[in-house]
Amino acid sequence: MALTSLLISSCLLFLAASPALASNSEGEALCAFKSRLSDPNNVLQSWDQSLVNPCTWFHVTCDSQNRVIRLDLGNSNITGALGPELGRLQNLQYLELYRNNFVGKIPEELGNLKSLVSMDLYENQLEGEIPKSLSKLKSLRFMRLNNNKITGSIPRELVKLSNLKVLDFSNNDLCGTIPVDGPFSTFPPERYELLTICTTGALTLYIFTILSNISLYIFSFENNKRLNGPELLGLASYDFGC
Amino acid sequence: MDKTERQFSIALLLPLPLILSSICTCTLLLLLTLTCTATTHADTDALLLTFKSALINPNANDALSDWGTSTSVCTWHGVTCPENEDRVTSLNLSRSGLTGSISPTIGDLLSLEILDLSSNSLSGLIPRELGMLTNLKVLLLYSNSLSGLIPPELGLLQNLYTLRIGDNLLYGEIPPTLGNCTSLETLGLSYCRLNGTIPPQLGNLRQLKLLTLQNNSLSGPIPDQLAQCTQIQVISLNDNMLEGELPSFIGEFSALKTLNLANNFLKGEIPTDIGNLTSLNHLYLFGNQLTGNIPYELNQLSQLQILDASSNNLSGPMNISPDHLISLEFLVMSSNFLQGEIPKDFCSSNSSLRNLFLAGNALTGTINGLLSCTSLQSIDLSNNSLTGSIPHAIDQLTELVNLALHNNSLTGPIPHQIGNLTNLEILSLYHNHLIDSIPIEIGKLKRLALLFLYENQMSGIIPAELTNCTSLQEVDFFGNHFNGTIPDQIGNLKNLIVLQLRQNDLSGPIPPSLGYCNSLQQLALADNSLTGSLPDTFGFLTELNLITLYNNSLAGALPRSLLGLKNLSIINLSRNKFSGTIEPLTGSDLLTVFDLTNNSFSGRIPLELFKSRNLTRIRLGHNQLTGPIPSQVGLLHQLVSLDISDNRLTGEMPLSLSNCKGLMHLLLNGNRLSGNIPSWVFRDLVSLGELDLSSNNFSGEIPKEIGNCSALIKLSLYNNMLTGPIPVEIRKLTLLNVLNLQKNKLSGPVPPEIQQCKKLYELRLSENLLTGPIPSELGSLTELQVILDLSYNDLSGQIPDTLGNLVKLERLNLSFNQLQGALPDSLARLTSLHRLNLSSNLLQGEIPLALSSFPQNSFSGNNLCGIPVGPCSDPPVSEGKHLSKAEVAGIIVVIVLVSAIVCVALMYIMARIWSNWREVSVSISDCEESNSNSKTWVGNGDKIQASKYRKIGSASTRVGSSEEKHSWGSDTSVLQMKNDAAC
Repeated sequence: MALTSLLISSCLLFLAASPALASNSEGEALCAFKSRLSDPNNVLQSWDQSLVNPCTWFHVTCDSQNRVIRLDLGNSNITGALGPELGRLQNLQYLELYRNNFVGKIPEELGNLKSLVSMDLYENQLEGEIPKSLSKLKSLRFMRLNNNKITGSIPRELVKLSNLKVLDFSNNDLCGTIPVDGPFSTFPPERYELLTICTTGALTLYIFTILSNISLYIFSFENNKRLNGPELLGLASYDFGC
Repeated sequence: MDKTERQFSIALLLPLPLILSSICTCTLLLLLTLTCTATTHADTDALLLTFKSALINPNANDALSDWGTSTSVCTWHGVTCPENEDRVTSLNLSRSGLTGSISPTIGDLLSLEILDLSSNSLSGLIPRELGMLTNLKVLLLYSNSLSGLIPPELGLLQNLYTLRIGDNLLYGEIPPTLGNCTSLETLGLSYCRLNGTIPPQLGNLRQLKLLTLQNNSLSGPIPDQLAQCTQIQVISLNDNMLEGELPSFIGEFSALKTLNLANNFLKGEIPTDIGNLTSLNHLYLFGNQLTGNIPYELNQLSQLQILDASSNNLSGPMNISPDHLISLEFLVMSSNFLQGEIPKDFCSSNSSLRNLFLAGNALTGTINGLLSCTSLQSIDLSNNSLTGSIPHAIDQLTELVNLALHNNSLTGPIPHQIGNLTNLEILSLYHNHLIDSIPIEIGKLKRLALLFLYENQMSGIIPAELTNCTSLQEVDFFGNHFNGTIPDQIGNLKNLIVLQLRQNDLSGPIPPSLGYCNSLQQLALADNSLTGSLPDTFGFLTELNLITLYNNSLAGALPRSLLGLKNLSIINLSRNKFSGTIEPLTGSDLLTVFDLTNNSFSGRIPLELFKSRNLTRIRLGHNQLTGPIPSQVGLLHQLVSLDISDNRLTGEMPLSLSNCKGLMHLLLNGNRLSGNIPSWVFRDLVSLGELDLSSNNFSGEIPKEIGNCSALIKLSLYNNMLTGPIPVEIRKLTLLNVLNLQKNKLSGPVPPEIQQCKKLYELRLSENLLTGPIPSELGSLTELQVILDLSYNDLSGQIPDTLGNLVKLERLNLSFNQLQGALPDSLARLTSLHRLNLSSNLLQGEIPLALSSFPQNSFSGNNLCGIPVGPCSDPPVSEGKHLSKAEVAGIIVVIVLVSAIVCVALMYIMARIWSNWREVSVSISDCEESNSNSKTWVGNGDKIQASKYRKIGSASTRVGSSEEKHSWGSDTSVLQMKNDAAC
């Protein structure tokens, strides 16, 4: 009888070696993501990993090459953490996870989403710092991280995001100063028309429009109690007050 | 014993459970002894027959066939008496096929010393009367179906040295009275349903050698009192719910050979005293919650043969050294948190280690240390963080049968020495970083059954030698870079069950010999560059249940022979160039998934397909299928997804489809379907999440029942001939992400109720006949992102202010309507807007500054002004306007011509004057004589020419000068001035 127990324990180990018959790296990544989540509304019910790709799953959109380009889980009452696996969705353009109860940090692997156009993580419970790796998102036009619990300073590296059109960091717990150099100021200050600066204590809202041939730019940093306004080059380090 | 007497003794025994442990049992024993003396030989005969009669259908039992036939019970089967005595001392009916219950009268066989009724099918209770058999030494009732509690009366059996009653349906607690059976050497209560704690009274069993309580539901700690059982050799408490720590007294059991505490809830560290168990052969601690390091003292257990501490929370380094544990054959530490490297020279030369399982830890470094363990047969180091390459000297492990190194970070190639491991049966190396090709020496592995190399970076061709491994059953090379063709001789692998070559760079045709692998059940060749057609021989793959060939360039018609594949369940041939009919794939009625998307299949949808009533997914999109949607589709009650989009289907949607109530995806777009969109679609298919009927010939109105499909996420009806209004019931589709009604003949207003579809990120209503204003409620669809397209309708009124709330919107198209008025300033808030088209409306006024960066044609065909269209006030043609080169050249030419004509005229006049005045000598250069009008005039004319030429010359050097017009307009005065100056 003792030997039987051993065989049970060791056989299981070899059973773990099974063929990878129906896996797709993007589907696997999404399933790994799903496994972290609590989904009381069964929004993710159709996410069936036995399918050859995730393109028929609801809230997942593929292009004609069956590559995942959209993930739409906004407003879905989902709880859980974002995981590094999201960084494996190589062709993702729209990451729409707003208005849920996502917790934990923004994984630095999100910086691998080279095609990402829109990162909408607003109105969640995300914490930790904004990963520097997000500066690799060369296609990013919209970055809305407002209404979370994000801390730390705004990474200077984000100045590399040359396509950024909308950046909303309002209602977080950021500290330090707002970059004025790099991407935040490929537009010389005299070309900004400062529409609004409303300052209520430490509450600061900056909306800049730029009269150029590009378009309207919105940068919002409202309601970050420890954020010190645009940095003055040479006068204060960017993490001043952190 | 007469009846009243028996009842008396039972009455006395009744309160026993309560009082037995506290009162002296002597009185009771005395009583039992008294009753015992009453038993006679004649009674024994009757007692045994009573026992027999309690069984079910006893006369049919061969073992009992001689019972009652002869006068001496001692000759009966299974009955033993001492020589020349009538006293029955042993009753052995083990494995006799007995059914029914054990008669309580057995308690009257007082001389009984051995009672063995094991391995029968006896049911009912264990009679408490057994407690009267005080001579009993051996009681074996194991492997029956006895139920109820263990009678506490068994505690009376002071002579009992073996009690085995396990493998029954007994429940309740272990009676503490068993602690009174102080002669017990073997106590077996395993495989029952016993609960409660282990009674501390068992510590009284000083003679105990074997204690097996495994596979019950015992809880609580291991009692300290067991420390007194110093003779103990085997402890099996596994598969219970025991808690607490491993008792350190265990180290005092110097005779202990087997300790099995597996699968409990034991916590804490492994006590170092365990190193004192120098007789220990087998140690099982797996499936607990043990923490801390592996005590180095374990290495003192020189007799240890099996050590299994897997599935705990052990951490620290791999302390066990088979170098010391020379008897160790099994070392199992999988699923812990062990760290560090495998020590160099892990084993000594005389190591007995045959099985090493360290999977699922955090081990690092190389596997080179294992090369010293030359007796190893099985290695499982999967799911660690091992690095380095597979050593060339791997062939030192000549006994190796199983090698699992998957899910590590191993690098380098597979050494060709692997071919020397001729006993190898399992080789699992998947999910590493292995490179290069498969060594041809692999062909020497005649016993190899499982070869998993998937998810590595291997390349090169699949060697033909692989087909010499004729024992192969499962081959998985998924996710590498293997190129070339599939070996022609693949058909040699007659035992092959799984062949997965998906996601490589394989090209060429599928070899016909593959059809001879007739054990094959799963074939996955998808995501390669395979060409050619499916071989006829595939018809021999009768065991096949899964075939996935998607994303290749396979072409041609399917062989008819495929009709013989009756076990097929999953078919995916999508994204190939297959043509002809799909009928050959419909031989099986076990189909569940049927995906032929993106091929060139033609003909009708075969009715045979609908034999497979368990189909969940049918995907036939992007083919050239014709005919109607067969009504038999309604037989498929399990259907979840039906995609027949982009074919040439005709007819109407079959009513029977309303039976497919579980349908979540219905895609019929891009066909030639006609008729109304039936209302049952929305009434019956309420699970629909995606409905696409676009690009067909559907007519009529959108049914009001649409509101029932509240699970809809994507709804596309565009490019049909739908008429009537957009039903207001659309408001119930609150989960809708995408709504596309473009290109129909829908009329009436844009229903304001659409604002309830809060999750819309794409809304297209363009190219219809919609009228009325744009409802301001659209402004509450703040998740609109991809597009809001209302173009090519007859919408009127102003653009509502509220559209400025659509801050995520990237494209807005309101062109070709009758929209009026000014652009609201709120549009400045459309900060995400990327493309804007407001052209061809009746808009007027100034374009808000914030929209000025959009191109002119975003606004054309209106009365708008401001950047980029043009300034709003209507200023006179600018005087400062620069002239083009052509204009300048034209002006010059005109000046020259006019000058030339004037010049000629003057010369003619002069000539006339000259001819009239030729007698008079006149000095031209004399100013004083220029007083006369005519002379001055002539002289003036002369000067004009000269100065005019000079002027032209200067003007020509200043092309584009703003003064050009002035000089031209006031020509005379300038000339006059110059003339004056010349004087």
